Amino acid sequence: MPKKKLSPLPSAAFQILLALAGEDLHGYAIMRQVKEQTAGRMRLGPGTLYSSIQALLEEKLIEQIEPVPTGERRRYYRLTSAGRKLARSEAERLADFLRAARAKRIFRGEYV
Amino acid sequence: MSERIYAFLLRLYPSHFRLVYGDEALQLVRDRARHESPMRLWIDLLFDLVRALPRLHLHPAPIATRATAPAFLVLDSDAPRAASLFLGVVASLFLIFATIPIGHVLARGPAGSLRPRTAMQVAAQAPPQFTAADRHRLIQAAAANVKRYYFDKQVAETTASALLAHEQAGDYDAAAGQVFANLLARHLTEASRDRHFTMEYTARVFPDFSKPPPPQDQARYRAAMLEVNCAFEKVEIGMNHVGYVKLNAFPDIAACQEKAESAMAAVNHADALIFDLRDNRGGFPNMVVFLASYLFDHPEYMFNPKDPVTEQTWTRSPVAGSLLVDKPVYVLTSSRTYSGAEQFSYDLKMLKRATLVGETTGGASHSGVLHNLDDHFAIGIPEHKPVNPFSGKDWAVTGVEPDVKVKAADALATAEKLAETRLRRR
Repeated sequence: MPKKKLSPLPSAAFQILLALAGEDLHGYAIMRQVKEQTAGRMRLGPGTLYSSIQALLEEKLIEQIEPVPTGERRRYYRLTSAGRKLARSEAERLADFLRAARAKRIFRGEYV
Repeated sequence: MSERIYAFLLRLYPSHFRLVYGDEALQLVRDRARHESPMRLWIDLLFDLVRALPRLHLHPAPIATRATAPAFLVLDSDAPRAASLFLGVVASLFLIFATIPIGHVLARGPAGSLRPRTAMQVAAQAPPQFTAADRHRLIQAAAANVKRYYFDKQVAETTASALLAHEQAGDYDAAAGQVFANLLARHLTEASRDRHFTMEYTARVFPDFSKPPPPQDQARYRAAMLEVNCAFEKVEIGMNHVGYVKLNAFPDIAACQEKAESAMAAVNHADALIFDLRDNRGGFPNMVVFLASYLFDHPEYMFNPKDPVTEQTWTRSPVAGSLLVDKPVYVLTSSRTYSGAEQFSYDLKMLKRATLVGETTGGASHSGVLHNLDDHFAIGIPEHKPVNPFSGKDWAVTGVEPDVKVKAADALATAEKLAETRLRRR
């Protein structure tokens, strides 16, 4: 069986899931949202964005929104419940890492 | 400029990816080019290219049914052409030279820094299999619907057989869901040369499009529209006596006639009128015609590629009490102005009744009638040959060109200036 594209979950895919957790967005809006939530560190280009979207669609973690009567050429994407679940478990896993890091006292100061 | 170069670079991507996401990728570059410096954008684009290309070329074409069936990893179905290879070399060389001096200045993105190692946790709820038989059934149904409903029987025949030929050639193998729908849509428009064909997919279940929406849906629509003031965001007359109507959709007359009447009454005494459709994604043709009715002293034909000519395609002019019939009108457009809003812009422009200020519109003409193929797929087929009194083509895909081309953000100020100059001259 071929290796699944999303295992392990690439961080671009994770950020796209997070971006869609708030609202349904089209490609460019996803890119902007990801940029914002990573404080400008991740700027998705078209190749990364749409190859991730394609993989997420195939795994049914996101879905393309059905047409509304107002109609628009841009495609909007929506998080599925499976996508939300995966994003949550991924975030929990990262939080575990953070707890471990905190226990090792690698942070200076008191934050996080 | 960036867009054209990128369109060229897109050839490096596998054909199945290009086919489905090429337009969207270009749109993204267009959007980013509007807001980012070219230098920054191109560094990003080239990094993106080297990062995404190997992954895409090493993965098979779109798949949804890999979970249980044995499968082989294949390279792209078509070998890269010489031009593509050349481009690849050029792009790589450029990258090598570009990244040496600036590589360590750039903020390192987290793209490669986090590599979680969990297995996918969604396999438990694997979707029902989408098999070759399903694909065949849908292609047959699509072809049959095209033959039955498309207005030009000869084109319908060639279009239907083109779908079957694509199936024979294996072009749909392993495609499912949205990817399959997008491929079909592309082939439909290619074969028919009619840009109004659409193919829709939902993971849920489509309603029966042959029936009108149930009453509870209509009640919900009405309530939602009233909550947002029927999409009239702002209606006012400024100090300069120029009326301003910001309308973000064309809601159904059945729900919003009163709101529309009071909006038009509020600007009735303006010396000039600006319709701001920069955030308007369209809606109901009946509202398009209703609002346009205020602007003419006799009925005018409001062309709409979806509908055959009926009584409703004519404005109900003159509207009793309307003082706007001889006032200058400006329509503000953006690249996000779609569908019904494009009809309003296009017809007023063609009738020489308004000056369009802003950007070329989005180019959405939803003129097909939707037919269910099964619960998840529906095909949009144009059923009438659009009779366009103005020119051979409408705004499908290409959009409506403004009379005065400025950035959407500058459109209001530009239109106000135009209106004031014109009013001073009178």
